[in-house]
Amino acid sequence: MKKLIKISVLAVLASTFVMAPATASETEKVFKFYCAQCHGLTGKGDGPNVTKDFPVSPRNFTSAAEMDKLTDADLKNVILDGGPSVSKSPMMPPWGKTLTPEQVDGLVKHLRVLCKCKGKQG
Amino acid sequence: MKLLLTAAMSVVFLAAASSPGSAAGDAVFEAKGCGACHYTDGPAKEKTIDDQLAKKGPELWYAGSKFQKAWLAEWLADPQPIRPMKFNNLTEENPGDHPKLAGDDAAAVTDFLMTLTSADVEAGKVKPKKNPKGRQIFIKKMPCSGCHQYTGRKKKISGGRSGPSLVDAGLRLNPDWILAYLQKPKVFKPVKMMPVFVGLLSDKDMKNVARHVASFKPKK
Repeated sequence: MKKLIKISVLAVLASTFVMAPATASETEKVFKFYCAQCHGLTGKGDGPNVTKDFPVSPRNFTSAAEMDKLTDADLKNVILDGGPSVSKSPMMPPWGKTLTPEQVDGLVKHLRVLCKCKGKQG
Repeated sequence: MKLLLTAAMSVVFLAAASSPGSAAGDAVFEAKGCGACHYTDGPAKEKTIDDQLAKKGPELWYAGSKFQKAWLAEWLADPQPIRPMKFNNLTEENPGDHPKLAGDDAAAVTDFLMTLTSADVEAGKVKPKKNPKGRQIFIKKMPCSGCHQYTGRKKKISGGRSGPSLVDAGLRLNPDWILAYLQKPKVFKPVKMMPVFVGLLSDKDMKNVARHVASFKPKK
């Protein structure tokens, strides 16, 4: 019985660890580390890579008008598979092999905080 | 006879690995405080973004596999910024204030750093040469040029600024290391701002990219 309880506790702990969503502060760190290179630390699309020669304008996440055109699923797909997956520029990399599913879900939420919008309901 | 040859080769290898130059270089490295910004004992230690951000400079535990010796000796004596931005920073320009080493010290530290190698870099896999497929991937198919500068047509420097510049990278980087870095990113930099391309690019295409990047040399 004791063994069973031990196993159950471990299983619950393990599932909590694996499934735990990224916290807002963790997600902000992820955003600033990966996304800010092009989208800027505040998400305005003005990261250090965006010189006058940069072939596209990275999305301004603080623009509710632009961000409301996209569903959360659209955002998730672009993060995972990159710009070409939605007929956009390959300058937006596919992050699916780099980020964890929890980090991606956290980023989608973070973008909604930045745009102060709910996005297109799909 | 085979045994004798192997033993002789081992002696040569050991002598090279711990040559007086490299021992002196190790001492200079320590005396100059290089270890305050660069760690030289692998494997990679970073596990989280915080670990990566805590570093003041790039890890050097595989420097001998990554760099070309002639370039390294020259750079240590007269360091020029490789990254447009300050290390681990997206808002401040690289101030170009890396300490300079005097000629003898630069040579000794080069000898030392060239002994720091990784078994994950296989020699002779990549022959640098112009590679249209690699170029297509670098500029169009994948976002490499979004973060790395390179010399484009008419000697124009293009590309993004958050990653290390790849202008003349063919002088700086070991072509085989470029391939190994693409194929085994977790070995060299477990946490980095560059996306992982394993599973997105085939080994053949990674080789094409490595060949292309290794062909970046000053244009005449």
